[in-house]
Amino acid sequence: MPQFFNKRLILLLVSIIVLVALIGFSLREREELSWPEQFLKDTAGWFQNAFHKPVSSVTGFFENLNDLQHTYDENKKLKSRLDEYVKLKTEVQDLKKENDDLRNILNKEKDDLSEASRIQATVIGRNPDRWNEMITINKGTLHGVELDMAVETSEGLIGKVKSSNKFTSSIQLLSSIDPKNRISAVIQGNEDAYGVIEGYDEKRQLLLLKRIPFDKKVKKNSNVITSGYGGVFPRRLVIGKVVDVKLDQYGLNQTAYVKPATDFYDISNVVILKRDIPAPEEGKSGTGQEGDGGQ
Amino acid sequence: MSRFILPVTALLFFIFESIFANLFSGVMFGSDRVYVPRLIMIFIAFLAIYGSKRLGILYGFILGLCYDVVYTEILGIYTFLFPVLAYLISKSMKVLQANLLIAIFVSVFFVGILEVVVYQLNVLINFAKIGYPEFANTRLLPTLLLNLAFIVILSFPLRRMVEKYETERDSA
Repeated sequence: MPQFFNKRLILLLVSIIVLVALIGFSLREREELSWPEQFLKDTAGWFQNAFHKPVSSVTGFFENLNDLQHTYDENKKLKSRLDEYVKLKTEVQDLKKENDDLRNILNKEKDDLSEASRIQATVIGRNPDRWNEMITINKGTLHGVELDMAVETSEGLIGKVKSSNKFTSSIQLLSSIDPKNRISAVIQGNEDAYGVIEGYDEKRQLLLLKRIPFDKKVKKNSNVITSGYGGVFPRRLVIGKVVDVKLDQYGLNQTAYVKPATDFYDISNVVILKRDIPAPEEGKSGTGQEGDGGQ
Repeated sequence: MSRFILPVTALLFFIFESIFANLFSGVMFGSDRVYVPRLIMIFIAFLAIYGSKRLGILYGFILGLCYDVVYTEILGIYTFLFPVLAYLISKSMKVLQANLLIAIFVSVFFVGILEVVVYQLNVLINFAKIGYPEFANTRLLPTLLLNLAFIVILSFPLRRMVEKYETERDSA
């Protein structure tokens, strides 16, 4: 039956066209998801929330058992670090006070890029196919979560808010290979080196910090933090440590391989950071990403 | 009661996928291998094998759309793939005979196909940069193993459920 076959072929072709159109539509920079999407995500979020609690309490129990086994060793290690910590804390307090005093003397207003307000949230879901690495959290626009805010765990930066609905939001992790995922960062050292986090090496599980000027000497093991110059993220969020440095293709820039401070696999509680100093208008009118202003 | 059993199971599978990905993404298996739960695909495969083609395609479309909106935020990939695969499964079952072992084999095979096509599409839109050998090693094989385990556990109750639904619908 050739006619019958043709009908199916046409249906297939039409659906392929629709597929391409839909993918194109959703890859475009969208300020906001359409309301049916938001509604669906919130509804799914409600169910995820409801199921998450009992399931996580069961797995939490087993994790606790696991933790108990390592407690002795960890305790030993932590004790040795404790003295160090106290010393560090007093030093930081002293420096903070000195900084404030000096600012007062200079009559400088409060314009610290690292100032941010915090929203605590629980992770209730994760994209199961794990290509575009995303997690779902149980706070949304009602709680003050907005597009492009920085998200961190106690260990360091993990990503940014990709979309926010009324009661839930999606967070895109740093490990997702989205070409639009860019963060302005600093490598701390005697002389700060600025660059942009662009991409993720899936094989070695390292972040790529690109566009560092070629004449900067970057030491291995130096810390990498956000610079706050991208306009959206606050300054001083921990990203990770430099593992390896390479000259790029044309020798004009260097690329540093950064080992993330956080583990992108085991995330249960996150903090969303809203920068107190608003981004300049220019940065906002752009494509809604952490720009590459860090050079 | 039996009217709601399929939607409720679909919902449970749908939610469980993300909870599984969230809770077991690194703790149990070590972080360099990616185990993707494909419960929805298994569900659709069994609907197409033991239910009807229409049922498989319908659920494939609805679940695919929900999957795209809620999880991936890239519309189209699963909305397209689930119904097409459901169609192909019911076509291939016309040739094969529907015993449980073959059903298990067919569902694992189509989970693999889904995984490969999704990988190719993600390479196309620049969301994946790993090469084929690495993909096979870190994603395809672990995913197939995990889903084989799921299928073996779920095959019997799933078959019974779908068959019961079908006979009740036919008699009604």
